[in-house]
Amino acid sequence: MKGKEKEMVIPRDFNLPKEVSEVRGQDGKPYLQFNTGMLTLYKQTYGELSRFFMALREARLIGSRCKTCGQVMVPAASWHCPNCNFAEMEEVALPHRGVLAATAPITFFPSASFVGQAPFCRGYVDVATEAKIASFLPCRLRTTTGIPRPGIFVKGLELKLVFEDKRQGTILDIFGVPMVEIPKELRKKEPLLASALNLKAPPVPKIKAEAALKPALASALKAMQGMAAKIKSGTRAEKDLAGRKHVIKVKTGGGEFDIKIERGKLAVNGSSPRTPAADFTMTVENPAVFSKWVAGGSLSDAVMEGELWLPNLEAFPVLYALDRLPRSIRRDQEEK
Amino acid sequence: MMRKVGIVNAAITECRGRWVEKTYWGLFQEAVRATLANAKMTGDDVDSVVWGIYNDIFEHQAIPESALTGLVAMTNKPGVRVTNGGATGFYAMRAAIAEVASGMVDVVLCAGGEKATDCFDPVSQSPTPMVINTIAYSWDPFFENPLGATANDSYMQMCLGYNDSHPGDIGDPLVRAKIVEKLCRQGNRNPYAQRRNEKVTVEQVMNSRWIIPPFLRLLEACMYTEGAGAVVFASEDKARELAERTGEPIVWVRGVGAANEAYAVGRGGYYKPLDRIVSDRLAAERAYEMAGVRPADIKIVELHDAFVAQLMITMGEMGFVPIGRTRALIDDGIMADIDELGDSKAPPDGQILVNPSGGLIFGGHFVGGSNMFSLWSARKEMIARQVPLALVHGTGAINACYGGAIVLELDERGM
Ligand SMILES: [Zn+2]
Repeated sequence: MKGKEKEMVIPRDFNLPKEVSEVRGQDGKPYLQFNTGMLTLYKQTYGELSRFFMALREARLIGSRCKTCGQVMVPAASWHCPNCNFAEMEEVALPHRGVLAATAPITFFPSASFVGQAPFCRGYVDVATEAKIASFLPCRLRTTTGIPRPGIFVKGLELKLVFEDKRQGTILDIFGVPMVEIPKELRKKEPLLASALNLKAPPVPKIKAEAALKPALASALKAMQGMAAKIKSGTRAEKDLAGRKHVIKVKTGGGEFDIKIERGKLAVNGSSPRTPAADFTMTVENPAVFSKWVAGGSLSDAVMEGELWLPNLEAFPVLYALDRLPRSIRRDQEEK
Repeated sequence: MMRKVGIVNAAITECRGRWVEKTYWGLFQEAVRATLANAKMTGDDVDSVVWGIYNDIFEHQAIPESALTGLVAMTNKPGVRVTNGGATGFYAMRAAIAEVASGMVDVVLCAGGEKATDCFDPVSQSPTPMVINTIAYSWDPFFENPLGATANDSYMQMCLGYNDSHPGDIGDPLVRAKIVEKLCRQGNRNPYAQRRNEKVTVEQVMNSRWIIPPFLRLLEACMYTEGAGAVVFASEDKARELAERTGEPIVWVRGVGAANEAYAVGRGGYYKPLDRIVSDRLAAERAYEMAGVRPADIKIVELHDAFVAQLMITMGEMGFVPIGRTRALIDDGIMADIDELGDSKAPPDGQILVNPSGGLIFGGHFVGGSNMFSLWSARKEMIARQVPLALVHGTGAINACYGGAIVLELDERGM
């Protein structure tokens, strides 16, 4: 959202020019394709779900409980129990905490409506833990320790349910954060608002220096500098970096270095006092990740596996651009 | 079943990542044309039609089947369209089988397909994010879709939940890679398979890029396919009469089972558990019961493999390997090897040929007709290998909550 501009249901660049173009078939013959869309806009009622979403707006979490069987629906999806011949259900206030019902998937490749928001994590939270029968709250899961990665949102994790400061009445008004990450004095606070937590600028994890990893850093630096030298004007690799400007500090067990991307060029230097302030820092124990990258591996894969730490999702797309480099250089060379 | 139902013939189009040469009209027509030609039938021999089309947004038309009626020579016949997520093909065939079994009609054409990759995302300038966006509309607009739930999440959540309860089974990447390698070699032999020219080694699988860790690398996931498939089901008398025209053996539908779990996940009551695919288990058990067979009687399985890890769980749910030790598929050599069987040998006792088509990972996954693709392959392999019993499986909808299974039997005169 820019300035006072309202966020729109359909983003501005989510469109295609009206045109008919040629496309080649597998049979080698030309065919035509026309740009089009299938568009519907809604003012969709929350209907009987309104009560639940109104509660969210007020930073309350409610469920519906059956007076006959005692089951609790979280969220309150119905006010009549399908188990008990549609017996009347009553509103029940729910605690702002729960337990992750199963290890949660992390989305790295989102659908078109969520491009720019990944990686994110979404899972099922058991909130009405006292009830014998209960449904789980589907919700976003966030951590104050950087980008979501495997090993954090695992089954049985105790979660604090946190509310956005500004709530609209959507399921994104509420999200789960590992209870261990919540300062002790805030754990019982209801509602706890997002602004009370540091979700945007997580502390950079400490990496233990290990002398044994120094040679790995030296060879990673050499490999990256060798690769950087191959990015010549007018090449694919240069295009991968075009329009990007980043200074990234990298902390590894073997020492630190900087990656600078500017004007289609890549520069890799051991830390020096002349280096400008970094946009962000990433950390990894073993610097060999970077040698593997140059050899055709993937930095984003290292993030997905939790080996390479990133502070936030803004940092993530940079890695996709970097991942393309070794392949582009290989193809540039093949063409020569 | 009220009346015996036989499969007279079946055919599919080539499976492709994108068909710019054909619209979905053309794909359906090609599948129906090939099926009727194989069976030496015309549209006049057919009493009614059942369509399997999953998603109107893919076809870019509501009531997409209405445009097909005339184009596939089904004018003025009854026609019903079935849409049940990934299990659309299965449920369309179930509806077709029911029409014959009930005695309502004698000959039903069942055609399913999808045109998925005309979708295009202007931001990434590629189809995939828009394809998954379209599938994401399978989730509800109040809770799950706004959270960013994807099709991958459906199966991944089941795999993660299963792995929580049964660690060390689907979590072994080597076992999964070995399965992928087998599926690849099987897909290579399928002349209609989307990835028939690919060679995938165990190492390549284990080094392929992540889609979602820890169970889904690029080479472990099903594809998006454009294509169509069709099957002719007929009553016993009619099937025998039609089979005379080609001399091809009839494959009988011995059992059909289906189950749809609740949409909401939770503990107890009717809620969907996160660590099992109950719909698969119930569907298979019901199909076995109707057929009067046990899993041990079945030597060919064509199952809906969205992910390899899910293939393993589904094989467990359907009773071929123990839940918690589905890796027996590889560890105990239960999955037959196509190179040992060649084109005509039946799997030896204790072995099962799983997805000889290459499955949805290497063969193809045109959603509304993927299960027809599986049935087409199962029928072909039963006849070629003289295997008396086979199982076709379909799954779909969010968190794999829809499940279906069909037990097929090769006519004794075909043996
Ligand atoms: Zn009740």
